[in-house]
Amino acid sequence: MTQIHVVTSANRHLYEDTLDSYHRIRHDVFVTERGWRAVARADGRDIDSYDRGDTVYLIAIDGDRVVGGQRLTPTTASHMLGDIFPDLAAVKGVPTGPSVWEASRYFVVRERRSGRTDCMMLAAVQEFGLDEGITHYSAVIETWWLPRLQEAGFVVRPLGLPTLIENQWALAAEVEVRESSRDRARALGGITGSVLVRRGPQIPLIPQVEHAT
Amino acid sequence: MIESAGFDHAQEAFDFVELLDKLSSPDEIMNQMEKSLGRFGFENFILTGLPNPHQKAEQMVLARKWPQGWFEIYIKENYVAVDPVVRLCRNSVNPFDWGEAPFNRDTEPRALEVMNRASDFRMANGFCIPIHGLTGYEACVSLGGVNLDLSPRTKPALHLMGMYAFEHIRQLMTQKNESRFDRLTAREREVLTWTAVGKTSAEVAEIMNLSKRTVDEYSVRAARKLRAQNKTHAVVKALQQRLISP
Repeated sequence: MTQIHVVTSANRHLYEDTLDSYHRIRHDVFVTERGWRAVARADGRDIDSYDRGDTVYLIAIDGDRVVGGQRLTPTTASHMLGDIFPDLAAVKGVPTGPSVWEASRYFVVRERRSGRTDCMMLAAVQEFGLDEGITHYSAVIETWWLPRLQEAGFVVRPLGLPTLIENQWALAAEVEVRESSRDRARALGGITGSVLVRRGPQIPLIPQVEHAT
Repeated sequence: MIESAGFDHAQEAFDFVELLDKLSSPDEIMNQMEKSLGRFGFENFILTGLPNPHQKAEQMVLARKWPQGWFEIYIKENYVAVDPVVRLCRNSVNPFDWGEAPFNRDTEPRALEVMNRASDFRMANGFCIPIHGLTGYEACVSLGGVNLDLSPRTKPALHLMGMYAFEHIRQLMTQKNESRFDRLTAREREVLTWTAVGKTSAEVAEIMNLSKRTVDEYSVRAARKLRAQNKTHAVVKALQQRLISP
């Protein structure tokens, strides 16, 4: 059964093998399959300057296989939209703040692209945001994904016009964290209850937020 | 419309997207599309799901401002099966000009026919925005006209406007359908209320001055709306959801 594991600096020692396989699969998806030559690496692992200590990974694992992932970075530190793609947010500007996190490198492995794993990943990112007090995600999304996110109940605000990147239309957007979005993504995927797995030590993502646990 | 120096297509698109939140019916959205897309020269547009082989094209349409004569010919001739725009729409995630949809003039005479006949209805050119849902739903927003401001500069704005218009209309129509199918009428609630206190349908018929058959019909319809297995289950669900009082 597929579940979405939360991997942070506090529990990554429990996920060393998983993370290695995650970076290899990321390289397969983004470099080999989609042709992003700029992030190609000789060791066959997609790792860049945004894979840091404060980066959080939501990794879809089935048994011991990585079948999907997404990466979250705080917008209070260096992040891609601010550093590389500010032009994409030319109309509305780049949103930043402690409760705004950037989502990037979203993928589901080829053989799992029938929809359900995507719904789990989308439900997971909403659930995680609600747990941690994140109010918005910023992201560069492929434009053809916009109606898919909306179908999953995501409230998406564009920050600029679609732009051609690596032969693919993409746009910068801000996604609200909402219970209704989490519930709609779950319903679309036929998922009941939480999809997140938290193993080992947990740290609050945003220190100012009070946690129930 | 000829592009004037002051026309800011990005601002036009963002104004449109933000305005959509304030509109509460598909008609209002269609009127706004007419205004906003009109500034790019578009006269006609359709928002529609793409039918699978078992579905009828006309039943997939969410909203349209489309030449009526052309729509009728299109349905009657079943052009959806041969339309190169529909074919490319299914196979592309990127928006495209109608003219970019490939077909073979020699071996696909029906494809040529549909493209030629569209021009007769002031639809010489157009822009198609494919929609691919998460679980297999396929749809498109297609915009047509004659004197279009359709350039690499304006296409990203139209792309965004088309996708947001589609989402808002889809949402409004889903809500409408759900409430139409799910809300119990006063009569249906009354039947369930009497059933909940142990009356048979013959007794309810007498109380409400209806035929027993009509009472049974109300029960069946209420059960279907509540997605209940039978009359008793419908009563339980109606009580749980506080649609009737115990």
